[in-house]
Amino acid sequence: MINNVLKGFIYFIVLVLIQVWILNNIHFFRIAIPFLYIYFILKLPAGISRTSLLLLSFLIGIVIDIFSNTPGLHASACTFAGFCRQPLIHLFVGRDVIPDLPPSYRMFGVGGFINYTLAIVILHHTVLYLVESFTLFDPVFLVLRIVGSVLLTTLLICTIEAFNLDTQKSGEK
Amino acid sequence: MRKLLDFLVNRRHWFLFLLLEIISFAFIYRSSVYQRNILLSTANIITGSVVSISGTMQSYFYLRQENRDLLVRNGELEMELLQLRGKLNEMTADTVTFTGYHNETPASQGQFDFVTAKVVNNSVARISNYITINKGAKDGIGTHMGVVSDKGVVGIVSKVSDHYSVVIPVLNPKFKLSGKVIGSSHFGSLSWDARSPRFANLSELPRHVEFAEGDTIVTSGYSAAFPEGIVVGTISSFKKQSDDNFYTLEVELSTDFHALNNVRVIKNNDQTEQLNLEREAREND
Repeated sequence: MINNVLKGFIYFIVLVLIQVWILNNIHFFRIAIPFLYIYFILKLPAGISRTSLLLLSFLIGIVIDIFSNTPGLHASACTFAGFCRQPLIHLFVGRDVIPDLPPSYRMFGVGGFINYTLAIVILHHTVLYLVESFTLFDPVFLVLRIVGSVLLTTLLICTIEAFNLDTQKSGEK
Repeated sequence: MRKLLDFLVNRRHWFLFLLLEIISFAFIYRSSVYQRNILLSTANIITGSVVSISGTMQSYFYLRQENRDLLVRNGELEMELLQLRGKLNEMTADTVTFTGYHNETPASQGQFDFVTAKVVNNSVARISNYITINKGAKDGIGTHMGVVSDKGVVGIVSKVSDHYSVVIPVLNPKFKLSGKVIGSSHFGSLSWDARSPRFANLSELPRHVEFAEGDTIVTSGYSAAFPEGIVVGTISSFKKQSDDNFYTLEVELSTDFHALNNVRVIKNNDQTEQLNLEREAREND
């Protein structure tokens, strides 16, 4: 339990710093920005209560907002992603998951994990870009940005997950 | 009754979800341009120092370019100095100085002052972009002040803390600036369409204004933030607006927002006076 809290805390700090220092400055062809920080939401223990999941999602969203001068934008998208996480796990993996472990390839199966990641990333990015473009409506450009960023983020998360020693160890337990 | 209560308790995450979304949207809608919570931005001291770390690292990448630009600018200024000195000599030779004259009003402080600042955080790919600079209220910076780079207009200061300020650059739909074609006095409104960080649009320019592609667009001096004649960019293409009475020009911005490193904040010593006067006039109207 304590171990999980500590691990979550480290994930939080590291992901926020990576997002703020590096990824916020990346923009492929001016359309795609990788939002790696939602890896934090993906990796919260599978059996976490839905209220704490929502609160943690909101928290990381608002922290990213503070660093990118967009109060409320990432917070709303993350809250939505956090809200949809449990139904998505039930949909792709079923109800019998090990509650204490974070989702991983080993636990969900490679296909299951990729589906799960892709679904949450799509939901998160769609909300994010829709809310952001309230001020400026341009459908083609909007769809292009969403698709580009979804591909980039998913690719990044799936790659990092493959090299994540932490989950490989915990999967063997 | 018990069933209803059970139902509500089981569904408590729905209420939490709604509550959190309402809070988020309240943040989004309450954050109008000039009155934002300092706590929720990179202008506060903690976030400011965190983003300035990446700003410092990035600044090294652009040193070569920066250096070359400064040398060029330096050369230009030196040329100008030589010319002006020549002119001054001519003038002094031409003028008979009358020493019996005493100037009653002391030489007033110039209207505009500069504070140089370093960019510590910058984005160009979003729809709403912001720049954070490492000077704040302690250095005399206030909201509504104009920011320029060595090449042209950058933006307007929107939030200030003790040591940092957040600037709304041209690359933000909230930024509006009145600009004109150099040499004419008809002005249009400059705004950004979120397509490319290199281009912005100058709209509502009357149809009878004469210009050609490649002409320079400068600030009109009608806002208190920028003095007249600061370069914005050059005309890259133009089209007539649908109502046929105005032109919309595509302006290639002279500031390279990708490689923004050092900027100058313009302090207009008469700005408060002008803004107060304008507000008073509107209220009395």
